[in-house]
Amino acid sequence: MRKQLFNVGAILQGLGITFKYMFAKRPTIEYPSIKKQHAPRFHGLHELRRYADGKERCIGCELCSSACPANAITVIGAENSPDARVSPGERRAASYEIDELRCIFCGLCEEACPTDAIVLTPRFEMADYRRGAFVYSKDRLLVPTDAGVGTPPDERPNGIPADLGRVAEVKSTTNVDRGYSATHRGEVLKTERKGLAG
Amino acid sequence: MSSAPATSDLVSLTIDGVPLQVRKGTLLVEATKMVKQEIPVYCYHTKLGPAGLCRVCLVEVEGTPKLQIGCNTPVAEGMVVRTRGENVEKGRAMVLELLLVNHPLDCPICDKGGECDLQDYAIAYGRGSSDLADPKTSKPKAVDLGPTIVLDEERCVVCQRCVRFDDLIVGERQLVLKDRGHRNMIATATGDPYRHNFTGNVTELCPVGALTSKTYRFKSRPWDLRRTETSCTQCSVGCRMNIDLRHGNVLRTMSVEGDDAVSDWWLCDRGRYNIGYIDSPERIKQPLLRRDGTFVQIGWDDAFALWAKAIRSAIDAGGPERVAAIGGGRLTNEEAYLLARTMRSLGVKNLDWRAGRQRQATPGSSGGTLLDLERAGAIVTIGESPAELAPVMDLRVRKAVRHGARLIRVAAQEAPPSMPFQDVADVAAAAAAIPANVTRVALIWDGVDNALAHAAFAALSREGRTLLTYIAGEQGNARGAEAMGMLPFAGPGYHVADAGHDFDGICDAALSGKIETLAIFGANPVLNSADGAHVRAALQAIPFLVVTELFMTETAKLASLVLPAAGAFEKSGSMVNLAGDVLPTSAALAPPDGVLGDFEIVVGLARALEIELPDSDEIERATIAAAAALPVGIAFGDERFAGAAKKDLSGEGLRLHVLHHAFAGGGTLAHDERIAALQPEPTAAFAAADADRLGIRAGDRIDLVGAGGTIGDLLAERRDTLAPGNVAFVGLRSGSAANEIAVGSRVRVENIRHSDVPVEA
Repeated sequence: MRKQLFNVGAILQGLGITFKYMFAKRPTIEYPSIKKQHAPRFHGLHELRRYADGKERCIGCELCSSACPANAITVIGAENSPDARVSPGERRAASYEIDELRCIFCGLCEEACPTDAIVLTPRFEMADYRRGAFVYSKDRLLVPTDAGVGTPPDERPNGIPADLGRVAEVKSTTNVDRGYSATHRGEVLKTERKGLAG
Repeated sequence: MSSAPATSDLVSLTIDGVPLQVRKGTLLVEATKMVKQEIPVYCYHTKLGPAGLCRVCLVEVEGTPKLQIGCNTPVAEGMVVRTRGENVEKGRAMVLELLLVNHPLDCPICDKGGECDLQDYAIAYGRGSSDLADPKTSKPKAVDLGPTIVLDEERCVVCQRCVRFDDLIVGERQLVLKDRGHRNMIATATGDPYRHNFTGNVTELCPVGALTSKTYRFKSRPWDLRRTETSCTQCSVGCRMNIDLRHGNVLRTMSVEGDDAVSDWWLCDRGRYNIGYIDSPERIKQPLLRRDGTFVQIGWDDAFALWAKAIRSAIDAGGPERVAAIGGGRLTNEEAYLLARTMRSLGVKNLDWRAGRQRQATPGSSGGTLLDLERAGAIVTIGESPAELAPVMDLRVRKAVRHGARLIRVAAQEAPPSMPFQDVADVAAAAAAIPANVTRVALIWDGVDNALAHAAFAALSREGRTLLTYIAGEQGNARGAEAMGMLPFAGPGYHVADAGHDFDGICDAALSGKIETLAIFGANPVLNSADGAHVRAALQAIPFLVVTELFMTETAKLASLVLPAAGAFEKSGSMVNLAGDVLPTSAALAPPDGVLGDFEIVVGLARALEIELPDSDEIERATIAAAAALPVGIAFGDERFAGAAKKDLSGEGLRLHVLHHAFAGGGTLAHDERIAALQPEPTAAFAAADADRLGIRAGDRIDLVGAGGTIGDLLAERRDTLAPGNVAFVGLRSGSAANEIAVGSRVRVENIRHSDVPVEA
């Protein structure tokens, strides 16, 4: 008993581990003031994008909702009025809702979308007190009018082109105040702390 | 079923290695279905026949150097056909590639996407890529063809199914193929809006998304829809119909393929497009009780208690003669049966379904089937023609006429039909007009004038001739209501019962204060009877009037108690159509909260009255037995059905006829703005002699003034087929004064405003 109490070697060995981690690089991040860098293809909250001229990319075709394995997406289509088009072509989404509690963030909606309208951003902060608040409709999913990218297909000759499903060189479509910049397949932009603090 | 064909009529051939025998003249595309193989088709349609336009149905026939089209190649003895194989696949892939040269690939936007033949066949038989790299032609995307249909010219593959439907089935020939080459497109021949009673069928015929219904455009995708098969209850034909729902809303209705006996695979626009009322916010959702001149909402228990109390006190005070019930034409068989049974168990005999102008719905033992009608050699119509009363039946008439039948209209008021016809003044002339060699004659009656029908039946009956009778009436389940015992003189299965008052008798009794309480189930006699003002006065004289309705109709506004009832798509049951077919109806959706079906309403009343009800099995058995009962002892134009002698309506002026129109009337039609464009412009037609005498030109605006009121602002029309001394009015709708002037009474023309541009009559 006595021998065990004064086993200094063992005490030092144990404390050694403690001291080692005292000087090692800390893995803890001061969330929420600092945020973790995600994997490039992290699947977070959805966003509905626009073309550069402000038109919605979504044409209300419901392919996302048919691809969705969790039945989380509900789209109701409507006819575009020719005078004030909401989206290119004749069809638009009158209502677009995603139940983020049902969503399994698999990204199949993104794969199914023929116009690259629905994308999964790395944004993950969507805690709330009410379940109903997790049903995101167009007012929260759509990017601001000036955050669009790409040329809408009806401005190209002969209506909808063969490369409808491809969108090149998309950088940011959201403002930094919303947290992470939305990205497109591949490149993740690091959040600027300055932007978050301001 | 036709009898088995003689052996000499059969042809032996081999399709995909399977030997089979088919009737001579069968087309390969139909023969192939018998060996459970499919040949892709666009222009071919079972009901339209072959056209040989799209070339996608290529098959290989041994002994011929090139591929043959399956749709227009009849079978031949010893033929060896291959519907698969390398050659066929290559040929089909080439045809599909060519069809897709100018077809836009906007499937995600297209309403047909998901149920499109071009999409399906391109996946099944196409190459998946194209050698043709040039840009596709751009054409107009949303061409307005008429009040119901929108055309996308880019998507059209020029199969001409719609053009052929208009020509071969409807006979209107409005749609044509315009221009040549890649500018080929569908348009109306005259440039006028595409408009007749059957336009919606072209959206189903179109194998691509070129023709779409305005009511359904971009609302949904096919895979979202939940489908219920039911029977249309809007007229007495009872077409089989699919109802497509999304999120509990009725989005569209579709015809049922294979329904040869009733609808012949078609639907009329009334049945197809009058669906919006189901979701209307104007529907009554709670029982309403009139208190001090205004309606207040009450609960169902109170409503039943009040109603039962009114019936009890009426019976205690003056016996069951002081109680009456009207309805049945818009109820299911089960509801009508239960209503009649409940009322008769109280001793109430004043039961009638006839709250409109129609007097009789069961044509007696001479009644024919709809298939018989298209095989008739001569068709005689008396009263209003079925064109607007039973549009899909009218398609059978057109089919018969196309096959050579003679159409004879007796004293017709309607505009001439778009097919050969002969107008005669009376039934004797009609009998004389039937060729001697015709052995099968169809007699179609609107069910209004029993004496005329009886005379017509007698005049047309002849030794060695089959006379088939039809009654194209106003309400969907009129014949069912008669079979279920909603008649003042007959119980279920036409068994003679103690006679009570018919509707006219109830009105007269009410005016002399002899009716304490009347229940009207799904009927609007104030608008639809021959003399609306008289009915209104009678209903106002009834102390406790109960009306079950979907909307606050003219009749419901007079009620003491209005009960919200379920609509046609919200209840299951059965109906009997004009040809006596018993057809099931299935509930596609639940009624709104607080709304009960008429069945539950009768059950509720019976419970409040403490009447013992049969269990549901017994009701089902009794209903089936009554619906299947042969109408023995009922004559065509039976005098028991005839009403009391009409008031003397002779006098100075023109005789007013109010004609039916598929989209004229109140009730459900007034609550969907999408079908407002289909409602007829209120029109008055004059015989040429009258128009000349009064100085009316076609296109003028006139008022008709009668004893009961004024029908204002009518479009005048000259109609050469109309007999002088008559004026035919079309366009009855809620709120118009037309129903205040008795049908058949005398009117004068006032306030003629000439149009600047005369319209061709």
